[in-house]
Parts: sequence; C-alpha cells; structure tokens
Amino acid sequence: MSDINNNDTGPQFPANEKLDAAATSRRALLKHSSLALVGAGLYGAAPFMGPWKHNHAWAQTGQKKPLTVGLTMDASGLYAASGAEERLGAMMAIKEFNDKGGVLGRRIEAIHIDTETTPATGSRVAERMITRNEASFLIGAVHSGVSNAISQVAQKYGTVFLNTNSSSPTEAGKDCHRTKFVWDGNGTNFSNAIVKNAIKASGKNWVLLTNDYVWGHTTSKATRAIVEANGGKIVEELLVPQNTRDFSSYLLKLQQLKPNVVATAVGGDDIKALRQQVVQLKMNQSMAWINNQQDWPDVYGLGPEAIFGVFGTTWYWRLGLPGVKEFVAAYQKQFPGMAIRVPGNVYHNGYMATRELLRCVEEAGTTNNIAVIKKLEGRKMSAADRLQHYDAWMDPVTHQCQQTIYMATYNDQPAEKDDIFKILTQADPKDVMDKDATGACKLESYDATPSYEV
Amino acid sequence: MDFLLQLIPHLVNGVSLGLLFALIALGFMLIVGVMETINLAHGSLFALGMYFALFLIAPQLGVFPNLQAWYMSLPLGTRYLVALILAPILVGIFGMLLELCMRRTYGRDPLYGLLLTFGAALVIEEVIRLVWGSSEKQLMLPEVISGAFLMGDLVYSKYRFFASGFAILMIVLLWVFLQKTPYGAIIKAGAHESEMVRALGINLSRLRLFVFGLGVALAAIAGVVMAPIWGIRPHVGVDAVVPAFLIIVLGGVGSLWGAVIAGLMVGMVVGLTGSYASEWSLMSMYLLFIAVVTFRSRGLFGKKSVLDQ
Repeated sequence: MSDINNNDTGPQFPANEKLDAAATSRRALLKHSSLALVGAGLYGAAPFMGPWKHNHAWAQTGQKKPLTVGLTMDASGLYAASGAEERLGAMMAIKEFNDKGGVLGRRIEAIHIDTETTPATGSRVAERMITRNEASFLIGAVHSGVSNAISQVAQKYGTVFLNTNSSSPTEAGKDCHRTKFVWDGNGTNFSNAIVKNAIKASGKNWVLLTNDYVWGHTTSKATRAIVEANGGKIVEELLVPQNTRDFSSYLLKLQQLKPNVVATAVGGDDIKALRQQVVQLKMNQSMAWINNQQDWPDVYGLGPEAIFGVFGTTWYWRLGLPGVKEFVAAYQKQFPGMAIRVPGNVYHNGYMATRELLRCVEEAGTTNNIAVIKKLEGRKMSAADRLQHYDAWMDPVTHQCQQTIYMATYNDQPAEKDDIFKILTQADPKDVMDKDATGACKLESYDATPSYEV
Repeated sequence: MDFLLQLIPHLVNGVSLGLLFALIALGFMLIVGVMETINLAHGSLFALGMYFALFLIAPQLGVFPNLQAWYMSLPLGTRYLVALILAPILVGIFGMLLELCMRRTYGRDPLYGLLLTFGAALVIEEVIRLVWGSSEKQLMLPEVISGAFLMGDLVYSKYRFFASGFAILMIVLLWVFLQKTPYGAIIKAGAHESEMVRALGINLSRLRLFVFGLGVALAAIAGVVMAPIWGIRPHVGVDAVVPAFLIIVLGGVGSLWGAVIAGLMVGMVVGLTGSYASEWSLMSMYLLFIAVVTFRSRGLFGKKSVLDQ
C-alpha cells in the first residue's frame, strides 16, 4: 500500500504545507476496494457500487491513529490575508486540544493547502484532502465561490466542512448542504443591523458599490431590499470586478450621483485600494459610507484616516467582556511577532468554529460524520463562551451560526495602538436573522449524505 | 450637453489612467523589444520598487539610531525624492544581477527565460513577504502632492495629477534617451542587428546588462509612483504584469509610442467603462486587445514580419 502511495505521480500543488503525514492511505484502500468491487461486479457477484455507507467505512479507531483535519484556507489571491488569519485561529484550537491529549484520545494533525481564492482550486484541494490525505473534516473559506466549490466536494463524500468566514447569504441559503456549517454572519445579517439606522441618520438616496461575484451580489441584494423596505432609494448600483485596483472612475461617478450613502459590498484587497483612494479624494467626508462587513485583516495597517464609515463585524479584540483579554494574550503568546498583533473577527471565527467541531466530536464519542453533524445542528453556544454579547446557536435549518453582530466605526480616541474600531452597538442575532435563508436552504437528508468514520 | 459635461471628467481620468498604464509598461517594453525576453518578474520588481521606497521614506534599521533619527528629521518631501531616485537604482542593480543569471538561457528555447523570470518572480515575492510581512503598507506622501482639489464641483486627487505628469516626464526622457543619444542608437541597433553591433566592437553582453537594468529600474519607478494609488502588498505585482504585457502586445512589441498609445487606449476604455458600464471595466481591456489583434496581429505599431511583406 505504501508503494502505491509513494509512486503516485498525480498533480502536485504549490505552496502546500503538510504539517503531518497521514499514516495510512485511504485513497489506496479505496482504489483496491473499488477494483475488487468492479471485479466482483463483472462476475455478477456484487453490484458495481454499493452505498457509501458500506464502502466508505473505516474501523481503525482502535489504533488511535491521528485525526486529520484539512485546512482549506487561501494563502494567495484576493483573500490571502484573511486566509492566513483564519488558519491561525483553527491552528490555535487544534493546539489547545492536542495539549489536552487530542480528541477521543487521538492526536489531531492539520494539513494545509492553499485554495488560492479560486473556486476551481478549492474543489481540487478538497478532493485531494479527502481522497488522498484522509482528512476527516475540512475547515476554512473566505471567498463564497471557493466555499461553495469546496462544499460540493465535501457533500459528495459526506465530509463535514466548516465555512469559517465566507458571508454570502447563499452559503446558508440556496447553496447550503447537510455537511456544511457556516460560522460567519452573512450579508443580510449585517444589512439588517446597519441599514435602518443609516437611512435615518444619513438620508434616503443610496448607491451600491458591489463586488462582482456571488457574495457582493447577494449582499447588495439584501441591502437593496432593506433600503427600499424602509423608504430609501437605490440611485444606482455600480459593479466592481474582482481585483479592481483603480477606483477613480467609480469615485468620479459617485461625485456626479451625489448620494447620501454609499453602501459597499467590496472585500479583500479591493476594499483596501478603495479605502485609500476615497481618502485621497476626501470623499470620506462628503458622503456617508457603509461597508457591510469589514474583516480585520483588510483594515489592519491601513492607518486611521482610511478606516471611515460604519461597518459590521462579529468580534473585536477590545470588547469589554470577561475572557477577551486572555484570548488576545493567548494569540500573542502563540504567534509572537505577527504583522497583525491582535486577533480580529476572522481569527475569532476560525478558532470558534474549529473548537466547536472538536467539542462535538468529543461529545459524540465518535468521528462518524452523521453523529458529528447531529451534534452541531442546533448547538447552543453561550455568549460568555464565545466572548460575545449574546448567546449564539447553529441554526439546524440553514446550518448558519446565528451570532452577535456589531456595528463599528473608526475609533478617534484609541486607548492603544491597535484600538482602531469603536463599537457603536451590538445586535441580538434574533433581530438580524436572514429570514429568506430558511426557505432557500434545502439540506440533503441524512440518508442521502454519505456516511463515514475515520 | 449635460452628458458631454459629465463625460469630460471621465475623459480626463481615462487619460490619467492611460499614462499610468503606459508607465507600468515602459520597462517591460524595453526588455522585450531589445532583448526579446519576456520578463515575468516585471511585476515582482515593480513591487520591490514599492517596498524599497517604503524603506527609504521611513527606514527601520534597528542599528545606527543617530543616523536614522537624523534621516527621519529630514522633510518628508526630501525623503520622498530620495526614494523616487534611489529605489529604482537599487532595483535596477538587482535586475542586473538577475540578467547575469539569465545569460545561460540566451540562444536557447525562450521557455528557459520564461521559467527563470517566473521563478525569480516567486522568489522576490516570498522575500518581500519574509522581510516586510504580508500585511498592507502605505507610502507616506509629502503634503504638496497629497489630498484633493476642487475643479467645478468635482474633487480630484492631487497625487493622480502628479503621477500622470511624472509618467509624461518619464516617457519623454526615455524617448530622448533612445532617439537622441548615441547610447539609445546602440540599444536600438542591438535590438535589430545584434551581430553587426558586436562586429563593430560593442560589448553586447554589457549592452544587454544595461538595458535589463534600465527596464527593471523603470518597473521600480512605476512601482514607486503607483504605490499610493494601489497600496503596497507582496502580490501587487500581478496587478501590474498583466496589463503591461497586454499593452506592449497591443502597441506593437518594441515600440515606445505603441506602448504609450496602447496605454492611453487601455486607460480610456477602462476609465469610461468603469463609469458607464462598471461590470465591464476590467474585461474591456481584453476586449480591446482582441479587437485590435484580430485585425492587426502585430499590434498597432509593430513592424511587419517577413511573412507579411
């Protein structure tokens, strides 16, 4: 079996970081099993493909072999910075479990492959991690397209996948899956939290600046619906192709349109460039700006003047809640000398998602995916445990974590160097739920989901 | 009439954008035109120029604290000027070292040169990540060229006008150098008749070394100029190398004015679509490229090949 593994000359992935090698090749086993089945099928002794429930079973838990977790975070492309942060969060949770002896007495090993902020790469990486690296669980996504691609592969094999930071409403809506769990607030949650107040405070004429891919479109669609429902008007929606670096023509157009509010659903490196160019033109002072969700790695280091407007987030490192200081200190101790000196929402989501998954495995007493899925569905998480203001829960209908949504702006009176957000208010998850997701999400049945145990 | 009045700022913006695109493509054009080498490290060298400028404006040495304090006490405008001059020179020297590595690929399958420069691009990007980290950085600007000014009831960026003016200056200087100096004549001769140039006793290796260094220095100049607009991050070079490649093919390989006019066309198309059909803004440059190359495969100012004659 090891020969087959060693001689494998399949496609190689750049920027792989294999943190630990798996002990046995599931791929080789599958290969041998399928050959045996094909042979038997030819003689009419067995069907060509039986249900996964039987074929995909492992009975090696007695050997205490390590539990492999696949980290599907971006290390390059538009969301490289966020990908790095959520990876640290997941690694921290894994480390904490390993320090306690692992999970179910098994050490947790993590492998990471760069998903390159590219859906096709996401699919390939997921396929490889499941079939070759024997990953029991997949964790990590920022880009909605990548997350959707990974989740389709994960559902095919029944592998539990945690979408840690991708916030398109479709992720827990029409693209939901039984095996996928979404841990970030989505565009509708943030719009529900922000838009109503912004119409009152700033005016009714809005322009939408939308990243031209699924997250941008679905987020702006949610914003548009809420603006119009509250008597506001969308004057124009400007679509921003991904990887746009020059926003001068958009900013000129905005000056001509003269809206009261500009609502952006622009992420990654695009929002960094946009913020800089808005400041150069001093347009941050001439109209109100709302960024649906502002990820910490996208603003860290930009400088105070570039952090303008009101934006949503799910966590901030200076929330005055018990345990937050210790959480920050643990990050700084574990990852000294990082360019991002304090953790943000992306790290928090990565950490909380991974920790909760491993807790579920422990509570289920098995790595059986269906048992773990059932533990995750409807799971209640206390505010104190998640270092937020309100209790959170994993919606059993949509598989989205319903959590506190914070509205923030630039902090003009920072208490220390990295104190760049001023939290304006926090919304109870019950008040900002995405009600459309419930109707749009059709989870596969348990029976239609391949079952496995590794 | 209203439409025309509204159109004017977008035309001005398109020209400004085009000049910046042309600036990004100049170094690429020089190296491809003279050395027939596609330098895939152009984008990474562009990024390196940004980072060197960042260092030269606010150095954090950790040694010689007195020297550092003295340097930092200089006005920001002076330090910016130092960065604008020194960063391209330093990157140019680095480019010359890269050219020395490339010599073994000359006369071989062009794939070797492509692979070498592609590898160099990856190495440079990773070195940047190691030295400066992967987070976003900003280049400080002197007061005189930062901020905005009003024109009618529209606000314009002062820096964008400075950058466009600087791009014009660089284009003119390069043209003067290539057309009006004996060095330029040798470079052009080397591009067309390298054997004859060698026969005349001119050291062709040294000529290639100089041209490559100059091309790379131009990439770094573009990087320093674009830094306040695009922001500074390790992979920013990818955003530069693609339009640069497109512009030189569109303008005709080896043609200075071809690159300038193609840059202006791309800037105008991207700027106008950004304003009136924003979802097409990035794709528009590729559509323009397809439209031109379909009817004129050698680009706007490319020379006829033997097959065309």
